[in-house]
Formats: sequence, C-alpha cells, structure tokens
Amino acid sequence: MVESISHLQTENINVWFGQRHVLKDVSLTFPGNQVTALIGPSGCGKSTFIRTLNRMHELIPSAGLSGKVLVDGSDIYDRGVDPVDVRLKIGMVFQKPNPFPTMSIGENVVSGLKLSGQKTPNSEEIIETSLRRASMWNEVKDRLGDPAISLSGGQQQRLCIARGLAMTPDVMLMDEPCSALDPGSTRRIEETILELKDSMTIVIVTHNRQQAQRISDQTAFFLADDGEPGHVVEFGPTQTIFTRPSDDRTNDYVNGHFG
Amino acid sequence: MSTSRVPLAPVERPIDSKPWSKVAPRLRSTVILVSVLPLVASLGIWASSGVDFIVALFAVFLPLQLLGGAIAGFVGYGRRGIADGLLVVVTFFLSAFVLILLLSVVWSVFATGFQALSPHFFFQNNKYVGPTTDLSYGGLGHALVGTILVVFFTTLITVPLGVATAVYITETQGKSRGLIRTMLQAMSGLPSVVAGLFIYSMLIASGVSSYAGYAGSLALVPLMLPTVSRVAEESLRLVPKELRNGALALGAPSWRAFFMVTLPAARSGIVTAILLGIARIIGETAPLLLTIFSNNGTNWNLFSDGMASLPTYLFLNLSFGTDGSIARAWGAAATIMILVAVIFTLARVASAPRKARKAKK
Amino acid sequence: MSLEHATKRDLQMKPYRFADKVFFRVAALAAYSAIIIILLVLIFLLQRAYPAFEQQGILAFATGVGWDSSVEPQIFRIGPQLYGTLLIAALATVIAVPMAISIAYFIVFIAPRFLATSAIILIDFLAAIPSVVIGLWGLIVFGPVAVGWAETLHEAFGWIPIFSHDAGTFANSPFIASLVLGIMIVPIISSVTREIFSQMDQEVIKAAIAMGANRESTLRKVILPTSAGGIVGGILLAFGRAMGETVAIYFVLNLVYDKVNWFEILNPEGGNVASLVLSKFGEASQTEIEALMAAGVVLFVVTLIVNALASFIVNRAQPWRNV
Repeated sequence: MVESISHLQTENINVWFGQRHVLKDVSLTFPGNQVTALIGPSGCGKSTFIRTLNRMHELIPSAGLSGKVLVDGSDIYDRGVDPVDVRLKIGMVFQKPNPFPTMSIGENVVSGLKLSGQKTPNSEEIIETSLRRASMWNEVKDRLGDPAISLSGGQQQRLCIARGLAMTPDVMLMDEPCSALDPGSTRRIEETILELKDSMTIVIVTHNRQQAQRISDQTAFFLADDGEPGHVVEFGPTQTIFTRPSDDRTNDYVNGHFG
Repeated sequence: MSTSRVPLAPVERPIDSKPWSKVAPRLRSTVILVSVLPLVASLGIWASSGVDFIVALFAVFLPLQLLGGAIAGFVGYGRRGIADGLLVVVTFFLSAFVLILLLSVVWSVFATGFQALSPHFFFQNNKYVGPTTDLSYGGLGHALVGTILVVFFTTLITVPLGVATAVYITETQGKSRGLIRTMLQAMSGLPSVVAGLFIYSMLIASGVSSYAGYAGSLALVPLMLPTVSRVAEESLRLVPKELRNGALALGAPSWRAFFMVTLPAARSGIVTAILLGIARIIGETAPLLLTIFSNNGTNWNLFSDGMASLPTYLFLNLSFGTDGSIARAWGAAATIMILVAVIFTLARVASAPRKARKAKK
Repeated sequence: MSLEHATKRDLQMKPYRFADKVFFRVAALAAYSAIIIILLVLIFLLQRAYPAFEQQGILAFATGVGWDSSVEPQIFRIGPQLYGTLLIAALATVIAVPMAISIAYFIVFIAPRFLATSAIILIDFLAAIPSVVIGLWGLIVFGPVAVGWAETLHEAFGWIPIFSHDAGTFANSPFIASLVLGIMIVPIISSVTREIFSQMDQEVIKAAIAMGANRESTLRKVILPTSAGGIVGGILLAFGRAMGETVAIYFVLNLVYDKVNWFEILNPEGGNVASLVLSKFGEASQTEIEALMAAGVVLFVVTLIVNALASFIVNRAQPWRNV
C-alpha cells in the first residue's frame, strides 16, 4: 500500500453536447486503492461521465462542461492545465480493444511511453512487467514481435490494459472493458483489476451487475429519465447498493427489473 | 394472376450463383436469338450496301437490337418487361460504344507508339534532330529528365502542403475547414492554362526569372494540390477514431499521436494520394509550355534555362506535323501512358492491403 | 443550481504545449495556402490583365468580336472564344452524360461483381489518360473518322440548321472538338455517378423490385430521382473541367475571331478561350499577352462560377462527404 495514490473527486459535473444537457450535477468521490463501479441502463451518461475524468470528453465537437474534477484537490479543468499531462496520470481502457495495428505486441506495450516522448532504455523490462501485471506475459512472451492485431479480442483488450499500465498511472478508467469479450477473458480481466487496485484508483463503467458486485468497493447508479439529463441516483459501498439500496429505482435495477 | 410471382423478401444473391442458369429456357433462347440476329442483319446490310459503318450501327443495328431487347423482355416478363429490355440494350450499347472509343485511345497509343520506342529513344535528346530526321536518331531522354525533375519538385512542394491541409481538415477542429474545402474545390476547377498564365505573370513577365523548370513545377502545384489533399483527407478519415483516442488517452500530444498512430495507419492512403496527384499532373501540357518553354538538349538544372518535358515534347512534335515528328509524338504518348500505367498500378497496390483489412473486420 | 449552468464552458480540443501548437499552426498554415494560392492567381492575372481590360472595356472584351494586333488601335475581343468554350463544353457534356450514366448503371446494377471491379479499374485508368494524349488521338486517329460522321450527319439532317454546313472542310469543327472532349469527360462523370449510385440505399432498390417494380421503372422512379442532385453536380464538375481543357481540343478545333459561330457546329469555325491563349501566346507582343491574361481571368471566373455551383449541388446531394 502506497499512500501517494491519488484521490479523485468530482463536484457538480454537468455535461452538454451542443444545447443538449446530458449529465446533471454528478458529485462523486473515488478514494485511492478502491474500485468504483458506475452502473446504469444504456444512455444514462455513465460513459460520458467517465470520459470527463481524463478530459477525453473534449475531443467530441460541441462538448460543454461545468463543475470540477479534482485530483488530490486540484481541478484538471483549470486554466492552463494541459490535458496531455492529465491523461498521463489518468489512463483509460476503452470498450472496444484498440491496439495500434501498425505496431507489434511489444511495441504496443511501450507505445504510451514513446507517444509521450519518454526515453525507454529498459523497454524489455517494462514490457515484461506490464504484461505480467495484465496477466498475459506467459501467453505472448514468445511472440512479442508479432503484430498486435494477430491476438484474440480478449488478449487485445488485456494488451490495451498492459499498454496503460506501462504508463504507471495513478488512476485507471475503464469504459465497459469486457462488454465485447467472452466470459473467460472477462474473468481474467476482473482478476487483473483486483490485483491492480493495490497500486491505483480504478473507475469502471459496466453493464454487468454481477461484475460490479464481484470487483467494486463502491458503486454509483446512474439513471436518465426520458428527455432529462442523466444523474446519480445512489452512491455508496457496493454491498449497500446491492443489498439495501435506499432508492426504489436502484433496487429495481440491481435486481434486474429493468435495463 | 398471370404475371410471375414476386418473392416476398429479396434474397441476397450468393457470390457464386449463376443467375443466367436460372433464366427460363424460352427466354434464354430468345435472348440469344435477339442478340445474334440484329448483329448478323446489320453486318450483312453494311457489307452489301456499302453504307457507312456509323450509319449501319445507328440506323440498322441499334433499332433492330432495341426491337430485339423489347421482344426478349416481353417473352421473359410480359408487357412490363419491354421497357426493361430497351433499358438493358441502351445501357449495353452506350457503354460499349464509349468504352470502345476510349480503348481505341489506349490501343492506338500502344500500337503506334511502341514502334517509336527503342533504347536510344529513351536516352538520346532532341539535339540535331530536324523535322525530317527519322527515328533511328534522337529521342526524348531530355524530356524524360525534364518531366521527372519538374514533377518531383512539384511533388516535393505539394505533398506536405496537401497532407497538412488534410490534417487540418480531419485532425483539428479548426474554424475554417469549410472555407478551405471550398477553396480546394475551386482550385480543382482551375483551368490548367490559367495556372500557366499565373506563374508566367508572377515570375517570368515580372522579370523575376526566365523560363525554367521550377516555374513549371510551381505552375503544377495548384493542379496537384486538390487531388492530394482530397485523397489524403479521405484516407485519414478512414482511420478509426478509436486509434486516435487510444493514443491521446495514453497521454500523447496531438502531433505524436498523428505521426506515430494515425499517419502509419493511413500510410497506404497517403501513398495513393501522392500517386494519384502525380498521375494528375504528369501529362499537363499547357502550363508547362508557358513556363518551362522547351529545350532540345538535356537540362538537369531546374533553376535555369528552358526545359523539355514529355507532354510539351509531344505537343511540339505534333505541331510540327511531319511524319517523323508525329512518330516521335506517338512515342512520347506511349512513354507517358506507360508512366501513368505504372503509377496507377502502384496506387492500386498501395491501396489494396487497406481494403483487405477492412474486409476482414 | 443556476450557478453551475452559468459556468458552463464549451470545451474544445486545442493545443496546450508548444509542439502541439506548432503542429496545429503548421497544419492551419498549409490549409490557408489554398486560399493564398487562389488569391495570388487572381492578383497576378488581374494585375497583368488590367491594361487590356482598361483599353478594351471589360464587357466589350468578354463579348465583342475581333482579335487583331496589326491594326491601330489593337482589337482584342474574346466573344467568339467565350461562347465557343461554353458551346463546346455543353455539347461535350450532352454527348458524355448518357454514356457515362449507362456505364455507371451497368457497373452498379447489372454487372456481376468481378466484371464490375475490373470495369471500375478500367474507367479509373481511362480517367487518368492525359489530355495531350487525347489530343493526339483526336487529331490523328479519331478526327478522320469523325469527319465521316459529320458528313453523314449533314447529309441526313442538313435541313436542320445546326447540321448545316457551308464553309470549308468538315474537320476541326466544334462538333468534332466536342466529341473528343465528350469522350474525355465520360470517365469523370461516370465515376461520380457510380459513387452516388453505390452509396444509394440498396435496400430501397431491392424493396422497389420486391414490390414488383421492373428495372426501367426502378431507374426512372427510384434511382434517378434520389441521385439526381449528385449526378447534376458531377455533370457540372465535368462541364467545368471541359471548359478549362486546352490541349485535347487545340489540335481539332479551328478558331475564328471575327464572328461568333452560334450554332453551325459542323463548320470548321469554333472558339475556345484556352486554345486562344495557347495559339497566340508564342508570338504575342506585350499588349497581346496582357489581353491573353485578361482572357485567362475571364475563363477562370467563369469556371469558378460553374464549379461553385457544382460543389454546392454535390455537397447538398452528398451530405456524407461533409462531416
């Protein structure tokens, strides 16, 4: 356990696309070394929300925002903060595996370091450590030179996790990382997540309620009513959310009555 | 209902199906009959009466074939098949007509042009070649050198400009993207002779420079730029957004994300853009006549003295009009077409892997 | 709650660090070069052309007749050339459109896949034939053949004014020039049309056929109406290209300077601005070059208008091209 792990917090995040208000007043706290699951039916804004946490949100034209995202107390949206520096500390894994097709497996792992202009004299070591942490070293150690797209879907996703880990981020954001994968790959990624939380803060968007229960320490339930912006209905320890939710809608959702 | 039954849902045609084998035998024999009869009849009339080929084609063959198409349509599908038959005949006839004309261009270039080609034709220049000199002496080596130098210099200027323009349009959220696009479209309609006048006015008439290769290169820039930037833009657009986002999410600055991820993924498209741009300008004549003038000797220097190029060599020889010079013109045409064909093949090869990858997904 | 709404910021992807600023700035600079080039073309041509416009008068220059540098004052008027340019480009387009659409229709809706693929490659290759090669072919190979066609047309339809013929040979007429030009632009129109056809919702067409429509009525009632805008735009693009074309018709067209040949397309009396520039440039005096510059300006402005119209129509018909 390291105490320098970042503590992430949002204050009254509101999100717009053009004139459309899609997310309202989200204030959540993500303590270090914990896994926070964001659950909710499709279209409730949870993926949009997670993209505000490392400023990927602003890549979408006409994106608007208010509120604060605080990392250890300072707002990543402050004037003069370079989103590039933010993303170095806050990594992200996407729904669809996106290894770089023009690079080999090994190159993909250290691609983040090269992309951010860091020297990699000990790249072999980094490759091995990162792949081990993503628990795929044994599968690929003999073919690090193969193109990354020769891997299976689940392996590609773990490669993307390894790629993110090589950057040694404080926070890892995962946007439905298992939604395109088979149950076996999903389980391995869940195991990886549980190991990783010793060294970082993890926020994961998931559609899968069982997954949230299995891996998360706390859970936020998002919901968007018809035509209304999405918002957080309930937020608390996962145990509480799934067994003694205080809101009926949460109860209905976690018990699979809708969504 | 006597009309044929229409299936409720359209069925995708299997790749290896043989649609013709499903045609009713009666229709098939009619089709064969109406395809052969008009041909035979019009050939007979053409041969026996001695009317012009074009008359026989349009006044005898086409009407007969239209009638045949209508009959075949009627036999196959009843009254509503008549219009279909006519449509198919018209489509085939017009397509074949113009394709034959276009292929005649290619065929005459190679059939006539190849007679002029010989090793010395590629290496010798036009010095001491008069209007009556036969093909055993002299060649277009100087023009080949000129074209390669001029086109190379144009490419050197245009490709960075064009690719960077495509980057501006696809990778940034710059405010003037619409305006730039409009300007490029305007530029793609720039008459080539006007491009020549422009550089003539800017460099030569103003006394900045005399006729020189680089002036020709500059005149070709506005002609090549729209092609390069459009094709480059399309290929950058084909790079999945997930890849860019993946790079940016790793903390890459935009420029590194572009050079290390987006550009390599679009590499074959960019190569295609360059090649199509070269194909666009390699045969440009008018702008070069106004800017590089001509030269009978080989000039390796882009920055002084007139230069020869393949298209202007063709043009000037054709203008001479003697048998010898026209033969040289055909030789130049064949050389240009060989270059175009090579570039074109390279472009197809370059863009092929992308297609295959896309198909696999 | 109004507090948060008041602080809504529109986020933008913008460069923060120096290298990114350079990257974005360089891209923007390159993009602006398109504007700069167009402006330079206009500025330098206008500057050279100004004396000619001043001496002849803009309107008289563009619409009047006569081109003579041996009289005093010199007369430089491009009326016959400007009209001839439009006439020949229009005729070429009329000739090319049915054939181009036929090919596109054949490739997209009739041909089996392997044939369609090779036809597409062939058409793209033919589109890349340089115009000077077309000009050579037009003069040596096609010209004599087309003279025969022109004679036949005249014999059969000479009583129609446009096919009348009262001067010189049948060669080097607007008719032949537009045939050559028409053949040259077929690949351009047909590739635009093909693209539009293949972007069309195939489901709509299948649905129409499933509902009992035949080929002909599907083409007339479904395919053509939905793609009309794009095809018209493509035709205008080709028209613009035809107007600016120089060497493909330079050798197969005889220019007249002292009268406008309004419609007698079989007479060897044509006009073409680009050919005018090419044929007069070699021996031109200083003032005559200024007049040729002015001709270039007029040609550029006219093609700009046509192209603007074309891209407006194409963009409206193909919204997927503007993301």
